Formats: sequence, structure tokens, C-alpha cells
Amino acid sequence: MGLRVNPDLYQTVLQGIDQLRQNENTALEQMSSGKQFNNLSDDPAAVTQLILNEGQSSNVNQYLQNVSTVQNSMQMADSTLSSVVTALSQAISLGVEGSNGTLNDSNRQSIATQVSGIKDQVLALANTTYEGNYLFAGTAVTTQPFTQSSSSSSGVTYNGNGSTNSVQIGDGEYVPVNLSGSQVFTPSGSDVFAALQGLVTALQTGGDVSGATTQLQQVFNRFNTQRTFYGTTLSRLQSTQDFLNQEQLGLSSAQENIDGADLTSVISSYVQTETALDASYQAAGQISHMTLLDYLK
Amino acid sequence: MGTLFGSLSTALSALQADQTAVQITSNNIANSNTPGYDREAPILVEADPTNINGIMLGNGVNVQGVQSIRDNVLNLRLNSETQQQSSLSTYVSGMQQVEAIFNEASGVGLSSAINGFFSSIQALSANPSDSTLRQNVLNAGGTLAEGFNSASNQLESVQSGIDEEVTSTVQQINGLASQIAGLNQQIVSLQGTPQGDGQLVGQRDEALSQLSSLVGTSTVSAQDGSVTVTTAGGSPLVVGDQAFQLSTGKDAATGMTQVYSQGSNITQKISGGNLGGDLQVRDQGIPGLQQNLDNLAASLISNVNAANAQGYDLNGAQGGNFFTPFTPSTPGSNQGAAASMSMYITDPAKVAASSDGSVGSSGNLQNFTNLQTTNIIDGQTAQSFYANFVGGIGVDISAASSSLDAVGLVVQQLQNQQSSVSGVSLDEEAANLMKYQQAYEAAAQVVSAINDLTDFVINTVGAQASGT
Repeated sequence: MGLRVNPDLYQTVLQGIDQLRQNENTALEQMSSGKQFNNLSDDPAAVTQLILNEGQSSNVNQYLQNVSTVQNSMQMADSTLSSVVTALSQAISLGVEGSNGTLNDSNRQSIATQVSGIKDQVLALANTTYEGNYLFAGTAVTTQPFTQSSSSSSGVTYNGNGSTNSVQIGDGEYVPVNLSGSQVFTPSGSDVFAALQGLVTALQTGGDVSGATTQLQQVFNRFNTQRTFYGTTLSRLQSTQDFLNQEQLGLSSAQENIDGADLTSVISSYVQTETALDASYQAAGQISHMTLLDYLK
Repeated sequence: MGTLFGSLSTALSALQADQTAVQITSNNIANSNTPGYDREAPILVEADPTNINGIMLGNGVNVQGVQSIRDNVLNLRLNSETQQQSSLSTYVSGMQQVEAIFNEASGVGLSSAINGFFSSIQALSANPSDSTLRQNVLNAGGTLAEGFNSASNQLESVQSGIDEEVTSTVQQINGLASQIAGLNQQIVSLQGTPQGDGQLVGQRDEALSQLSSLVGTSTVSAQDGSVTVTTAGGSPLVVGDQAFQLSTGKDAATGMTQVYSQGSNITQKISGGNLGGDLQVRDQGIPGLQQNLDNLAASLISNVNAANAQGYDLNGAQGGNFFTPFTPSTPGSNQGAAASMSMYITDPAKVAASSDGSVGSSGNLQNFTNLQTTNIIDGQTAQSFYANFVGGIGVDISAASSSLDAVGLVVQQLQNQQSSVSGVSLDEEAANLMKYQQAYEAAAQVVSAINDLTDFVINTVGAQASGT
């Protein structure tokens, strides 16, 4: 007699069926969740990757939000400064007009009133708020930065501070998002309000209107240079946004690669498992029909 | 010279032997599904022959005893693999409960709370005086703290759930030890008697196998047929007919159930079986994870607090604590940091975003966001420490599962082997039944033939003698 075989054939068949049921379960889980794995232990290295990937992705999302928040306030600041530029150009034209020797006092007074009006307009623009915060107060955003003042020679004092803010738009990458009011409007020697006031005074008193206009022209030029900060930063933000969008796409496709189930292979392994299960069931069904006792009647 | 009556008694011995064999077959069939039952076979020997004038004449057949078919070496191997299997299986199922707490693969865990906290800070940096954004920072900080609280509490509740199993497992071990001691006594008293130890050894094997699934043991067979059972750590469970009961008691410091043998604490020496697996999760797996979680919480608390203290709040005052500072109960240990983590500030204005005291400054928030890229714990950033922590749980379970699969295959194979040695095959029993039935019929035929012969002798020879 040869080697004795385990008489309990069910034991072997059940072990096989058990394994197949596990495979079937895994495939079903993958199909229903669309994920390659659903537990840490299925692929620990991938889960570690996934966590780091999600951390990075959460940062990138936040950077994108920061960019868009900053873009809004900077666009507001930029367009405000653009209005100031228009106003200053008008004042310069008026100064050129006022330096014409053929004008009489009354003409000059009228021009002085117009320039004074432009000064008030610039003052109002310098106090522009965005979502309740003053745009040109440095970081003292709740303090009105520019107020009329008789004690100041320019007629305007600056109440903000000289600080600026930076906002994070990438890993370790911060972008300065504002210029203080004193940098833009009242740098010493290039004070916008002082130059406008100088022109007004010259027009009113019959002083050196031409010299005051030249001075205003110089202040205007410097102002325009300062203003490019916003334009430059905005275009940097635009390219950062494009980059971050790319990165976000990259991260989500990386995540898909890490944990997305390959449906083709999952379905084919499911079908294979089903076939094998079917065969095992049939085999198990056959076993009960075969013992010698059935033939001993 | 042989006699008719001699033949009759020979045939009778055959009838008796075949009856016994049929009864054994019937018992095998009856027990074909009894766990631990080893198939039996009759030990048939030829009866001592009679020497009649130098001619040796056979005297039929004797049933010398009943033999249980088993392979003791196989049983011992199976028991030792079973110890490993149930230890691993208990370990894996315990750690799977832990895995569920940190199942980042399905989006459960602290990762999103950590990300959410830093996102809220970054959002605030774009508009530091916004009260909604400030409130969001407080909420995100609270969510992070609650995340740590809940993870720590869940770890603890898995741990105490496992602790509850220890007492009941020890009771089962004690029950089996008593059973084995009782069987030892019966087996020793039956040694050398014609009925043999019967199925008692089989029953004892079954009890030993059950014991193996509960705790790692080592078994030594004695000359008198008894077995001595000790735990893998050497504490006696059964010696001869005596069982040594294990006892349990709570440790005053940890509140965890300890196992005692003869008055000494053997908890740390226990390995193998459900008990070994449970203790491994309870005393090694979970405390290690709890410690890492506490270290991470403590590091975040102190670093975030330091960042907040460097800035100025919305009212221009110097910043203070952000989270409630953690004071270790034992110096150098962060035990309890995760469970007790909570917000210190409740006023959104107290988030120290400003670097110079002005309301619109967000300069100090860089000290917060820099924490994301700074190695603040074990030379790693918080996020990668956490990722490795979670990955470590996965690796641990996956390694234990692989070992479990491997041991499972060995156990299956050994069970298969054991079953092929000791299992009842109905085919075989049917064949045996036929064989014994035919032999019985043949022996009965012999009796009938002798009856005819005797009849013939009485009726023919006797009638002639009486002259009829």
C-alpha cells in the first residue's frame, strides 16, 4: 500500500476555497474603492508616500489660495496707483500750463485750485482700503495712513508704519506683497504731497511754477518706478500660479499612481478568481459522492 | 493429531477476533469527525501453537490489544507551529485594531489634521487681521489636539480590551492543565494493562494542542506515560497528575493584568499562543506607538508655543502659549502628551501673527510655517515622522501577516500529514468491514462444517455402533 492520503479531502478543498475567497474579497474591495489598497499593511511604503504626497498637495493648495488672495489685493493696489499716475500727469500738464508767462493771476489761481483738487484726489486714493484694510499703511492696516495736517509742510502726515508683509507661495518661498505708504507716497525728497503742495503754492503766490513742475515731474518718475513693484510681483504671482497648478496636477497624478487600482488587472484577476472558485465548488460537490460504503449494499 | 473440537475452538477464536475488529471499525466510523480522534486498529496475533507429537498446530487468533495510530513527533511539531500561529494571528488581529486608528489609506488619521493646521496658518498669513481666518487657526489647532487625544485614547482602549482577554485566557490554560493532569493519572494507571491507554492519549494530545494555541509550552514525555508541561519560559503547568495553576493580578502602576506562577510574576517570560500574542501587542506594540505619538504631540506643542511666543497678537501684546504647555509627570518622558493636548488660547486675537506689533503684520507666521520644513523630532519634520510612524505600523503588520501565512501553510501541511496518519478514512473502514465480515463468515462456515462433521460422526459412526 502506498502513502496514506489524508482522508479528509474537504480540509484541502476548504483551504483552497478560503484562499480564493480572500482573493475575491481583495479584488472586490479594489473595484469598489478604486484604490489599490485599503489598509496600511497592504503597502506600507506606498502609504508613507501617500501621506507625504498629501502634505505636499495640501501645501500647494494653500499656496494657490494665497496667490489668489494676494493677487486680488495687489491688483487693487496697482489700479489705485494707476489712478494716481493719471492724476499726477494731469497735475504736471496743469503745471506746464501754469508756467506759461501769458497767464494772469486769476488764471493761475484757477489752475492752483485744480491742482489742489488733484492733491485731495491723490490723498483719497492713498487711503484706499481692500476688505477693510488700508492698502498703503504698511502693516498698520487698521490705521488711516494719510490725514490732512496743518503742521506738516505738505499738508499731509503719514500715520502708518514702514513694515511690509510677505506671503508664502512655495516651500520656503515668500513674496513681499506690499509697499508701505511712506515708500510709495512720501519718501523723503520725493514726497508726492509735498510736490503737489509746492506747485499749488507756486501757482498761488506767483512763484517758480516751472521749477515746481519740474520737481513734480521728478517725483512722478520716481513714483512710477516704485509702482512697477506691483506689476512685477503680479506677473511673478501669475507664473507662480501656473507652476503651482502644474505641480498640483503632478501631485494628483502621482497619488493616482500610488493608490489607484489598475482596473483592467483587478477585473481580470477577479474573473480568474471566480473561475477558480467555481471549479473548486464543483470539485467539492463531487467529493461527497465517492465513498466505498455506497457500493457495499 | 488435530481434533474436531480443536478446530472448533480455533474457529471460535476467529469469530471473536473478527467481532472485535468489526467493533473497532464501527468505532472508527462513529468517530470519523471527532476532533483529536486517532484511528484504531486491532493488534491480531497468532495464538500459541500446540505441539502434538512434534507437529506444531495453530490455535487460532488472539486479539492482543487495540492500537491508536498516531505520530508523536508530528504532534509535537504541530503543537509548536500552532503556538507560533496563534501568537502571530492574535498579534496581527490586535495590531489591525491599531491600524484602523491610523488608516491613512482610507483617509483616517492625523495627517489631514496636521496639514489643516499649517494650511490655516498660511491662509492667515495672506490676511493676518482677518478674524475669520484667525478663528480658523484656532479651530484647526483644536482639531489637531483632538486628533491626538482621540488617537491616544483609542490606542489605550485597544490596549485595555486586549488586557481583558488575558484573564480569560489564563483561566482556559488552567482548565486545560487540570484536564491534562487528570488524563496523565488515568494513562499511568492503565499502562501495561491489556485494554491499553485507548483514546486517553488521543484526548490528551487534543488538550495539548488546544493548550498550544493558548500559550507557548514545552512538553516532555515521561517513562510512565505521563507528560510534563511547562510554559516556554519554564514555569510548570503540569507535572504527572498535578496541575500548577497560573494566577492573575493587576499591576498597581500600569493597571495591566500580570500573570503569576507560584507567586512570581512571569508576564514578561510568556511567549507563543494567544496569550503571547496578546501580551506582545499590549506590552510592546501599543506602548511603543503611544510613546511616538506622545513625542510628536510634545514636540508640536513646544515648537508651536515657541513660535507663538516670538510674535505679537492682534492687540500688539507679546504672544504666549498656543497649546496648553505639556508638563511631564516623569522627567524626560512625554507620556500623556497626546492624550492631554489642548488649546491654551481661546481668543482668536491671541494668535501672534505679527512680528512688530502692528495688526496687519504676518511676519511671525513664518515661524509657524517654517515648522513644516524644520526637523523638529528625531531629525525629521513632523509630517515625515508621522508618515514613518504610520508606515511602521503597516510594515509591522505586513511582516507579521507574512509570517502568519508561512506558519499557516506549515500548520496546514502538518495537519494534513497528521490527518493522513491518524484520520479515519471511510473507504478504508468500508474495506476493513468487508474483510472482517468475510473472515467472520468464513469462520462461521468452518463452525458449520465442524457441526456437519460432528453430526456425521454421531449419526453414521454412532448408528453403526448401535447396529441400527
